[in-house]
Amino acid sequence: MNSKLIKELPDLVENDVISKEVASKIEHYYLSRQQNTPNKLFAIFGVLGSLLVGLGIILILAHNWDNFDRITKTIFAFLPLIIGQLFVAFSILKKKSVTWKEASGTFLFFTIGSSIALVSQIYNIPGNLSAYVLTWIVLSLPLIYLLKSNAIAILNIVFATFYAFEFGYGYYTIDQTPWLYLVIMALIIPHYIHLLKHHKTSNITSIFNWLFPLSITIVLGAFVQDASELGFLMYLLLFSVFYNIGKIPFFNTQKLRKNGYLIFGSLGIVIMLLTMSFDGFWYLEEFFLNTQETYISIVLFVANLGILLFVYSRKWLKEFNLFQYIFILFSILYILGLNIPIVGTIIVNCIVFVLGVTTIKIGADKFHFGILNYGLLIITALVVCRFFDTNMSFVIRGLLFVGVGLGFFFTNYMMLKKQKSNVESLKN
Amino acid sequence: MKTKHIFILFVLLALVQLCIPAQMIFNRESILKQGIAYKFKTEPVDPSDPFKGKYIYLNYDLRNVEVGDKDWHRKQDVYISIANDSLGFAKAVTASLEKPESGDFVLAKADWYSESTSELRFSFPFNEFYMEESKAYDAEVAHRDAQRDSLPNNTYALVYIKDGEAVLENVFINDIPIATFVENE
Repeated sequence: MNSKLIKELPDLVENDVISKEVASKIEHYYLSRQQNTPNKLFAIFGVLGSLLVGLGIILILAHNWDNFDRITKTIFAFLPLIIGQLFVAFSILKKKSVTWKEASGTFLFFTIGSSIALVSQIYNIPGNLSAYVLTWIVLSLPLIYLLKSNAIAILNIVFATFYAFEFGYGYYTIDQTPWLYLVIMALIIPHYIHLLKHHKTSNITSIFNWLFPLSITIVLGAFVQDASELGFLMYLLLFSVFYNIGKIPFFNTQKLRKNGYLIFGSLGIVIMLLTMSFDGFWYLEEFFLNTQETYISIVLFVANLGILLFVYSRKWLKEFNLFQYIFILFSILYILGLNIPIVGTIIVNCIVFVLGVTTIKIGADKFHFGILNYGLLIITALVVCRFFDTNMSFVIRGLLFVGVGLGFFFTNYMMLKKQKSNVESLKN
Repeated sequence: MKTKHIFILFVLLALVQLCIPAQMIFNRESILKQGIAYKFKTEPVDPSDPFKGKYIYLNYDLRNVEVGDKDWHRKQDVYISIANDSLGFAKAVTASLEKPESGDFVLAKADWYSESTSELRFSFPFNEFYMEESKAYDAEVAHRDAQRDSLPNNTYALVYIKDGEAVLENVFINDIPIATFVENE
C-alpha cells in the first residue's frame, strides 16, 4: 500500500501538488517505518509451511505402515512430537522472532495430534473423534500463552468449534451438550483481550473479531436439546449480543470490515426475523419453562441487557437504533405470540420493515452507499418472502416490487446528488 | 515473565504432551502382557477416519446376552461377563451394572433391551481395527469370500482382557492374520 503512495510521488511533484522536499520526506518516513516492522509476510508463510508439513505428517502416518513392527511405529509416534518440542524449546531459549515462535508452535500443534493418532492406531483404540480432538486441544492450549502465538490460538478456536460440532451434533452424542467448549473459549479469551488492548486495529485482531462470532454461531445449535422451538429465540438473542458488542465505540469506530460482531449481528438478526415472518412459523407448541434452552436464553437476554446498560452508563447511546433493542421486543413477542400466531406474524413483518427503514436512515446519515443499499435489500427480501406465502393479488404484489425498485433508484440518486453538492461546496 | 520461567513451564507442558501417548501405550501393553486372550467371532466392514487412517469396523456376532433385570438405559456402561464356549470362542454369560468380582468381563455399552426375548443388546468398544490403507477394503472382501467356505464364520478378533479393559490385538481369517491373508489373496 505504501509503495503505491511512493510511486505516486513523482507525479504529484510534477503537477506541483507537493514540493520535492515534502516528497522526499514522505518517502523517507515510509522507508524507515518499513525497516522497523518485522516482515509479516514471512511469519504468515512460516505458519503456512508448518501447517502443511504437520498435516502431511498426520496423513503419512495414517497410511498405517504394516511392515514396521510395533516398536518402530511407537518411535515414529514420538519422533515428530519431540522434534516439534525441540524447535519450540529452541525458539523460547534463544528468544527467537515471532516468525520462529509461530511456525515452531504450529508444527508442534500438529505433531501432538499425530502422536495421539498413531498410538490409537497401533493399539486399535476405538476413538470417538470428539474425545481425541479434546485431548489435542488440552495439550496444545497452554502454548498460546507460552509462545504468545496467534496461530495456535486460531487453531485452537477452529478445533474447539470442531469438537463442539462433533460432540453436540454428532449421531451418537446428539443428546449431549458441549459445555467444555465454553471452558476452552474462556481460556482463549485472555489472549484475545491482550490483542484488543495492544493491537486494536491490526489485521490479526480483526481475524479474531470474525472468528469468535463465527465459532459461537456454529456451536450454539449444539446447546439446543429437546425444546428446539427455543432455538430461534436463542439465536436471535445471540445475534443481538453480537450487534450490541459491535456497537460499542471500541469496535464501532473501526472500519466496518474489521467489525465482525456488527456484521454478524445485523445479518443474523435480519435472517432470523425473515425466517420468522412466515405465517407457518408461529404455529408452535407450548412454551417451555424448565429446560436448558430457557436458561441459555435467559443468560443471553441478561447479557444483552448488561451490555446495553453499560453502554448507557458510559453515555455512548447517542441515537435510537431499533437493532439494539430488538431483543426485548422479540422476547416478549416470543412468549406471547406462540399462542396467537397472527399477531406474531404481523408484528415480525412490521419489525423487519422498520429495521429496513432504520438501516436506510443510518446509511443516509453516514453517507454510506453500502449501508443504504443493505437497508433496501432488507425490504426487498421481506417483499420477496411475502411473494410466496400471502394471498395478495398479483397486481398488489407487482406494485410492491415496482415500488421497492423505484426506491432503490430514488434513494441512491438522492444520495449521489447530495454527495455531489457537498463536493461542490467543498470546492467553493 | 522471564524466559527462564517460560522455558520451565514449557518443559512441564512438553512432559505432559509426552506422557499422554506414553500412558496410553503402557496401559495397552500391560493388558496385552497380563490379560487373557479371547476369540470373538466378527464381521469386518470398511470405513475411515480423517486423522488415524483406514480401519475396518468389526461387527461382532456376540452382541446379545440374556438378563433377568429389565431396567437398562441406552449407552449405559455395562459389564459383560464372558467365558469360552465349546469351540473356543467367547460367549456372554451375564450382564451387570456393577463390576463382577470374579471371572473375566468386558466393559461394553448397552444398546437396548428386548422384552420378547429378555435379551440385552450391547456393543463392544473394541470395534475398530486399523490397517494399511490399501488393505482395509480388501479385508472386507476377503472376509466375504472366506464366508463361502464350509465353516459358518471363520473370522475372529483376538482380544486381550484385563480388569474389564480390552485391547484388540489382531483379526484372523481361517486362523491367518487378516493382513497376511489379504496379501496372500
